[in-house]
Amino acid sequence: MAGQAVRNRYTTSQMSVLLAATFALLFTTVVALLAVDQQRVLLAAERLQQQTVPEIIRFQRLTRNLEKLRQEGERLLASGTPAGRQESLFMIMLVASHPSILEHPPSAKLARDTEAFLVDAARLASEDPATLPLRLAEWQQIVTRLNLLVDDLSVEGVNLVASDLVDMTAAMRLANYQLIGTMLLVGGFLVLTMVLLRKHLLCPLQRIDRALSSLNVDQPTPDFPEASLAEIHAVEEASKRLHSVMLSNQAALRKVELLASRDDLTGLINRRHFMDLAEAELRRAQRYNRPVAIAFADLDFFKSLNDTYGHHAGDVVLCAFAHLLSESVRQSDLVCRYGGEEFALLFPESTVDKAHLLVERFRERVADREFRLPDGARLRLTLSIGLADASHCAIEAALKRADLALYEAKRRGRNQVVVASDAC
Amino acid sequence: MLRRVRLIACSLAAALCLAAGHAQAAVWALKVAVLENAPPMAYRDADGRLTGFSVEVARALCDEMQAQCSFQTTVLEQLVDQLVAGEFDIAAVSLLDTPERRSRILFSQPYFRSISLWIGKPGVLPGEHGLRIAVLKGSAQESYARKQGWETVGVRTSGELAEPLIAGSAQAAIVPMNTSLNLQKNKDFQRLGLHSAVLKAPELVGNAAFGINPRRPELRRMVDAALERIKRNGVYERINTQFLPFRVL
Repeated sequence: MAGQAVRNRYTTSQMSVLLAATFALLFTTVVALLAVDQQRVLLAAERLQQQTVPEIIRFQRLTRNLEKLRQEGERLLASGTPAGRQESLFMIMLVASHPSILEHPPSAKLARDTEAFLVDAARLASEDPATLPLRLAEWQQIVTRLNLLVDDLSVEGVNLVASDLVDMTAAMRLANYQLIGTMLLVGGFLVLTMVLLRKHLLCPLQRIDRALSSLNVDQPTPDFPEASLAEIHAVEEASKRLHSVMLSNQAALRKVELLASRDDLTGLINRRHFMDLAEAELRRAQRYNRPVAIAFADLDFFKSLNDTYGHHAGDVVLCAFAHLLSESVRQSDLVCRYGGEEFALLFPESTVDKAHLLVERFRERVADREFRLPDGARLRLTLSIGLADASHCAIEAALKRADLALYEAKRRGRNQVVVASDAC
Repeated sequence: MLRRVRLIACSLAAALCLAAGHAQAAVWALKVAVLENAPPMAYRDADGRLTGFSVEVARALCDEMQAQCSFQTTVLEQLVDQLVAGEFDIAAVSLLDTPERRSRILFSQPYFRSISLWIGKPGVLPGEHGLRIAVLKGSAQESYARKQGWETVGVRTSGELAEPLIAGSAQAAIVPMNTSLNLQKNKDFQRLGLHSAVLKAPELVGNAAFGINPRRPELRRMVDAALERIKRNGVYERINTQFLPFRVL
């Protein structure tokens, strides 16, 4: 752990604040952009409404007045009387002097020209009416100019609308692109958020779930890749700690179990544990119809040894004896300190005869052995053994029969093996 | 539950009553001053009904504003005083925007653009000594002529403007463009063989507007809005065509 590079971790609240802030910023920016676009469209529409439409209506009025000029000109030229021409001239003067014409320079100039021409034509006609038809060609030129100006004004009005519409369309299109962009951006952000959540929250949680589900002393310590989120890291570390606590608990339990099943002094299994194991062994043997033998061994005159040399010496002898005993039996045989100087033995897969040979050999070995006491004194010990077949008995019954055989051995003078004769 | 339903029903009923009351109040009354004997702007038709360009524009505005307008005739001479006195809400009379008027009344947005004409014998020029000029009493043309120090002969209605010329009590006239259209139709006037020319005085050219009671600025906003609407929806153009030979805005 210490060897790993320290990396920055974020808490989930930091992550959520970061994501929310990013999203808010993104969203605000995008909404602001859209609002700007909308404003552009609104402005274009407003311009169309407030400026362009009145302008078009103004152009229409202007064209009407230009046409009025033409009509009055036609009337003047067609008129046969000075009074009729005067009437037309009056109207032409009014129209040509009206602010609606004067404010538009091309129209004002043309109106001035038209008026001047017609005033001149009327003046000449009042002298000689025959001059009027001579001027028709010149009048046609003025009419053409008037018509062209009317055309221009009509087209200009249409162009004004078209230009506003082009602006509006461009703004709308831009807004449309931005909307699509916004949707992509927001979509991308959501995907990114999901990916981040998956990578840094969901997957680690699933890993933790798997690790915790299979957390077991038989499994190795769970290993996690480096987590980015502080909480995930904390939980992962906690599950590692939990695993190590489980391991140490397991070790402690084993130790306690060991302590609970052993005899303090000799290190052999104690009576309670022996009874558990023996009972299981007997059940197994009886199920499979296998031979099993059981024995009680008791050191002869051990009480007088205690009395003579002290309890400490007795303990030393018991330890040495136990050691010798556990060395002398097979791996599969059970040996326990049953109490005091009495030991119980179980011989799985052994007939009484085979067990008899074994315990007899052991008895001889003990009898030949010199035990050394702490004060340096040496002494010899003998041992009495009661042996019984346990192949068909309950453990208590088998033990009882072995005990009886032991008693018989004591009674017969000790240092011998007696086999329980009667079957159970 | 029943009580709540009853409560809601009562509230609804009350709201409806209020709305109805409001709708009732929406039909509001306006007193509108118009001129008489001033064709083509304001005159009585064959049936005696008031009509003319100014009158019909005023009617259209009343319709737009959903106002119940009562038309009352007056003469231009007294119009501004009456408007200041509150006798009318709107003066549906073409008023050129002069400083004197502006200091006393409110003006709507212009409803047409006018020019003024000098009418006199050929060769007779404005300001010539001993010349008497026919004008409408209370008009911008009158106050212009007076400012120039010219002698004037005032008439009470536009329709009477030809009379002093025909009678010889006036040798010239200053008239607004629309009035001149009417003058031109007068046979007696035509016989005088008078010459018309545009009078290029800035105060006699330009926007003509309705007058509004100076104590009702909110009314001006409504009139302006209504005017803007009829200028766009074609109503104004139809009135223009009906009464005047060319576009006057």
